[in-house]
Amino acid sequence: MDLINRIKDKFKDSILEAFELKPKRVVVKVSPSKLKELARFLKDDLNFDYLIGAGGIDFKKENVIQVVYYLFSTTYKTLLMLKVDLPRENPVIDSLVDVWEAADYHERETWEMLGVNFVGHPNLTRLLLPEDWKEGFPLRKDFDLSPYQR
Amino acid sequence: MSEETELMRISWGPQHPMSGQFRLILETDGERVTKIIPDLGFTHRGIEKILEFRNFVQGIVPIERLSMLDAANFNLAYVRAVEELADIEVPERAKYIRNILCEISRINSHLYAFGLVAEAAGGYPAVFLWTVADREPLLDLAEMLTGARWSYSFFVPGGVRADIPKGFKEKCLETLRYLENRIAKYKECWLDNKVFKARTVGVAYLSPKDAIRLGAVGPNLRSSGVPLDLRKDEPYEAYGEVDFEMVVLKEGDCYARLLARYLEIVESIKIIRQAVQNMPEGPIISLPKPMKKKTETLQDLLRLAAVGRFTVPKGEALARVESARGEVDVHMITDGSAKPYRVKIISPTFRNLYVLSRLPEIEHIRVADIPVILYSFDPWYLDADR
Repeated sequence: MDLINRIKDKFKDSILEAFELKPKRVVVKVSPSKLKELARFLKDDLNFDYLIGAGGIDFKKENVIQVVYYLFSTTYKTLLMLKVDLPRENPVIDSLVDVWEAADYHERETWEMLGVNFVGHPNLTRLLLPEDWKEGFPLRKDFDLSPYQR
Repeated sequence: MSEETELMRISWGPQHPMSGQFRLILETDGERVTKIIPDLGFTHRGIEKILEFRNFVQGIVPIERLSMLDAANFNLAYVRAVEELADIEVPERAKYIRNILCEISRINSHLYAFGLVAEAAGGYPAVFLWTVADREPLLDLAEMLTGARWSYSFFVPGGVRADIPKGFKEKCLETLRYLENRIAKYKECWLDNKVFKARTVGVAYLSPKDAIRLGAVGPNLRSSGVPLDLRKDEPYEAYGEVDFEMVVLKEGDCYARLLARYLEIVESIKIIRQAVQNMPEGPIISLPKPMKKKTETLQDLLRLAAVGRFTVPKGEALARVESARGEVDVHMITDGSAKPYRVKIISPTFRNLYVLSRLPEIEHIRVADIPVILYSFDPWYLDADR
């Protein structure tokens, strides 16, 4: 597809994966160092102006935390999942709030639920969990659920 | 009395008659609001985590708890993600039945939103009573179809739980006629009311550019002049086969956000009427390809699920559904077992509350406008908190 080729042409080896999941759903995985550059390219050159959300997945076996940004282009009416794999022990990544302002809440949620540290986020504080929460990251696969089970 | 004002922080909620299970922190300078900080999480139940421990049929129950008013659309988003992964072809008749229930659910939710704005604008408790009373025939209709008044759990992977009962079509058309008369009355008594207009027209304006930048969604986005509606953009179920208009307004203020919902009710009535009349005959449920049988019933699906044999292949799917409050996305990752590995839900209120926290032109907002502004965005805190 034209969209994938344009991304691949520009970023070459930094694109670890790029395919069409089904029509109007594109998946692009990028190496963490190029995330911000690609984000700017997507927004300014490919018109992915509308951020739908962001979240993460804990792949414990692969020892990876995958952060996913869900982007939408109001011009192409296509949804793009921008993925980046981070090491599970220390998941750190540049915040994209200065590219898409709407990423604010979604990054805060991903931080408290999965422990991903977004560098440069203006206000990385608790959003859904209580302010005094100390018990770890609930959406990680090794989160201890026993106190909550009857 | 001196003219000097002082800066003050007001905590509005979580124990406040108009706030809901939610808190707004307002920074005020006299009557002026200088900052709005939504405080979420009072109803966080960890639904995403709960879903990791439920099989694909059990999962339809917790996902509905995100939005009881608009249960059908949330249910549909989950079910569509499963169907995409398991490669299930939904029978045509089931698609039409889904459309009907989704639109009943949407009207329900919009009517309730109506009542809340009336209440918030002050002096219109009568409108709230009307809208709640007028939801009743719709709830009866839903009960006739699904057996439940609001938490339907009616859509299962592959189709719907039951076929249209006898006499449903007639009752449905009668209810729609009743509703049309009623909402004409709303317009006359309330939407055209001068006092109500004075409280809402031009309040909390959101430009198309800001709406996109801040990530507004649903009727809030469309009332700012951005034509995005998944029912039109990616017609799912039978939406491609019915004739209706996407409601897009230019004004972008509190009044427009409400008017958009009013006009959407009119369109929803159109959709239900067409779906009820043009529904094809046929089966209402089908199983995934490897489990195919000659005749397929709900019991087959439930039996497979109960013994853990309803599995879907490893993979990922992203289902997008236009709910009453805007788009719901369910990103499902599976590992080949009978339960999802991870379910990420992107809910509309979570995104709309961010817009509220960054409202442009905040210098024009007064403390007294806050309830109207908040409810014009139609928040449902349960789906924001998840």
